[in-house]
Amino acid sequence: MVLNLKTSSVETREQRLGTIIGWDGTASKLADESAFSRGDCGGCGTKARRVCELEGPFTQGSVCSEQMVECQAGNIRDAVLIQHSPIGCGAGQVIYNSIYRNGLAMRGLPVQNIRFISTNLRERDMVYGGAEKLAEAIRLAVERHQPKAVFIATSCASGIIGDDIESVARTAEAEFGIPIIPLHCEGFKSKHWSTGFDATQHGILRQIVRRNPEKRQDDLINVINLWGTDVFSPMLGELGLRVNYVVDMATVEELAQMSEARATVSFCYTLGTYLATALEQEFGVEQIKAPQPYGFAGTDAWLRELARVTGREAQAEDYIAREHARVKPLLDELRPKLKGLKGYVATGSAYSHGLIGVLREIGVEVDGSLVFHHDPVYDSEDPRQDSLGHLIENYGDVRHFTVGNRQQYQFYNLLQRVKPDFIIIRHNGLAPLAARLGIPAIPLGDEHHALGYQGMVNLGESILAALQHRKFHKDIAKRVSLPYKQSWLAQKDPFALARAAS
Amino acid sequence: MAILALKSRPTEITPDADKSGAIELVRYVCAIGAMQTAAAIPRVVPITHCGPGCADKQYMNLTFYNGFQGSGYGGGPVVPSTNASQREVIFGGADRLRELIESSQLVLDADLFVVLTGCIPDLVGDDVGSVVRDFQKRGVPIVYAETGGFRGNNFTGHEAVTHAIIEQYLGPWDGVREQGTVNLWSLLPYQNTFWRGDLEEIKRLLEGIGLKVSVLFGPDSEGLSEWRNIPRAQFNLVLSPWLGLSTAELLARRYEQPYLHIPVVPIGARESGAFLRKVAAFAGIPADVVEAFIAKEEKRYYNYIDGFTDFYSEYWWGLPARFAVIGDSAYNLALTKFLVTQLGLIPAKQIVTEDPPVEHREAIQAEFRAIDEDVSVDVEFVEDSYTIHQALRNADFGHKPPIIFGTTWERDLVKEMKGSLIEVGFPASYEVVLSRSYVGYRGALALLERIYSTVVSHSA
Repeated sequence: MVLNLKTSSVETREQRLGTIIGWDGTASKLADESAFSRGDCGGCGTKARRVCELEGPFTQGSVCSEQMVECQAGNIRDAVLIQHSPIGCGAGQVIYNSIYRNGLAMRGLPVQNIRFISTNLRERDMVYGGAEKLAEAIRLAVERHQPKAVFIATSCASGIIGDDIESVARTAEAEFGIPIIPLHCEGFKSKHWSTGFDATQHGILRQIVRRNPEKRQDDLINVINLWGTDVFSPMLGELGLRVNYVVDMATVEELAQMSEARATVSFCYTLGTYLATALEQEFGVEQIKAPQPYGFAGTDAWLRELARVTGREAQAEDYIAREHARVKPLLDELRPKLKGLKGYVATGSAYSHGLIGVLREIGVEVDGSLVFHHDPVYDSEDPRQDSLGHLIENYGDVRHFTVGNRQQYQFYNLLQRVKPDFIIIRHNGLAPLAARLGIPAIPLGDEHHALGYQGMVNLGESILAALQHRKFHKDIAKRVSLPYKQSWLAQKDPFALARAAS
Repeated sequence: MAILALKSRPTEITPDADKSGAIELVRYVCAIGAMQTAAAIPRVVPITHCGPGCADKQYMNLTFYNGFQGSGYGGGPVVPSTNASQREVIFGGADRLRELIESSQLVLDADLFVVLTGCIPDLVGDDVGSVVRDFQKRGVPIVYAETGGFRGNNFTGHEAVTHAIIEQYLGPWDGVREQGTVNLWSLLPYQNTFWRGDLEEIKRLLEGIGLKVSVLFGPDSEGLSEWRNIPRAQFNLVLSPWLGLSTAELLARRYEQPYLHIPVVPIGARESGAFLRKVAAFAGIPADVVEAFIAKEEKRYYNYIDGFTDFYSEYWWGLPARFAVIGDSAYNLALTKFLVTQLGLIPAKQIVTEDPPVEHREAIQAEFRAIDEDVSVDVEFVEDSYTIHQALRNADFGHKPPIIFGTTWERDLVKEMKGSLIEVGFPASYEVVLSRSYVGYRGALALLERIYSTVVSHSA
């Protein structure tokens, strides 16, 4: 598959990868039905990648592509994001400001507010169009902040009324001499928000990344991440490599130099699949095709592949040996304390595959997970990146593996099926329900928390801390009334409505 | 894609659209944010017909990164949504909405569903009214409000929701009014970070002079039974500069129910006393009852203020003299009144940020102009934070570091100005707010603690 960077809109994940948002079964069955190394499809349709998807009549509020544009393009330190939308889409400014500020603080960067401008489309603009307001917002962005680039996020409203954002952006780019980058992320266009990651990365690839790099930085590694603490610099430093963190909290120049780097890695293939594959396709920047860096097996394999690509095998082997020696006694201390515990992971897809591996590595039982979507293949189409396959091969099957688009009503039944001692979660809306059932959550704001060798220790310690919260949760669980009907709470099958409808 | 004609609405809720410009760092959300107005009524569940991110965005920033209030029984992640896709945009979403309402009844335990629309159905012209009316005819407790984001903000969406419940859920009423009962229409739930604690304190004050109060929203509301009893109350009390007025007017038209409008939400003894006397006069409560309650409250209040006097007169390291308030008209007016009349602070800049409908702006101006017998304030109406911050930089705060009553957006600015920030409004992402209140007698004391703890903690 060749990624098409010629058009300004990114192809949605469901078109490119066959992404689904509803499925329930064992992890091994899902891997079998997914294309990757395992080949065959699950029998739905004739396309190569087609997993049978459960679709029901009842759905709770999900997340849209534009939110992922906010959390990526909106967090570039010397750029401005314009939301070409009615004011409600600007609500994300509050959420991502808080996350951005705290992320900057964690990374030791100067704390500042995000720079988002809403064009504030009103009823009149729905009739006459909002192009002038967009042009004016771009001018304001440039005057106010002297940005190195301006991103434009589209919205459902601007998409439906058909504003010609491309021509406004081109005119402004000629006038101001900086990249003005439309990101097509209308919420209704893709059923899963992860398309929004791709929309941002598509725009960066088209208009920011240096097209004809004059030099190569052979020790520079692009690390696709979010706001997490800087765990990559020390780790890659052991191999004599430097880190270029993208996309969040990067500068425009740091994004531009991605084409000069030696290779690209990420903490999560859901986030990194598009950018890393396109960098390889367009600029020959190699994508590290290995398991994700979680647990001993994943981290070992990931480091070895990175070392192979960059020609640093000896340093890597030395580092791996030292880290094994350092971490093993720490884990030996942790494992007895964690013995007999059961965890549940509810996160984005590839990230969950990594976390389950870490949990099993530290002796925590996992027989259920909810992932918010499933990509049957990543953009590289390389089986070495089959994160679900890696999980199953190294750590065994997961009995209750569910794909669901953050539906709280199903989460109740999912938890009843598994009855975990704690959950690990990164996205809002589900932990509050678990809390009301007496189950504490580990909210992973720092996405690097469980990464690499130290990540196993970190997660183990976080579990022990979260378990202490049980006192709080057990207390509230006795007092709470859930908004769901008894008949639904008694339902054993979280997908009963979907199955009845099909 | 062709645009379909917009349906006309019985009441125009969008303020002067032509003047609206770009907004940086938002201070309100869109009309569908009123999903949290519905969710603020116990056991009421909103159903949102909109794109996949709308509901999440509105609730996460109203209920989470604004005081971490929690999203309520039927709000936040509970809220059903059509998560409208390309299919609904092209072919219309009425069938999908019907399916969602049907299935919501199977899953959710609610006394009333409130359907709210987003941009997509309002633009493609879904006939949401006819879908909902079918359910109403079948006896399903459900109403709908058109709250597409381009139609207005969460203040106007709030009124659209209250109108929808009154017009579509409450029946005709010709009984006898119950003397001594009042419906309270005041602060906007969830947008105002302190609304729950504040409603509790206002209710306590009104009960103190013998009234029976329906607060309608929040933990002190009895839920739909209270709403059904709305027409029975002796009168409606609108306690805010403008929000709730159109609802009170609707009730006056529909049930010939009188209303009292008091623009200033009371903070501190002076305003609380004045407030109670006005309400008592309107309700026909004898003066001795009111005065006895005020005297009791003042005794407690001034006992604490007496203790505070040592600090206020003798703190060695200086206290701020000038202040600015950036926020919704209700809290802005209330705080300014309190800080000027009771503490003797000097107002340097007051900016109202919720885009009040044009017809109410003159009245709001007038309240600020008459803030005290010797102080007049010229309030500005601005929504764009960049413009607001420029105005604050240019304001005259004298030679002392200022105290800014604002939002999280002012954190960087206040650091730059070496002042103190009290986050009192949306968004307040660095405050955790449970039952805290800043109004009435008790709230004023909590506010003083908050202000001066902030100031003192800066001093070393």
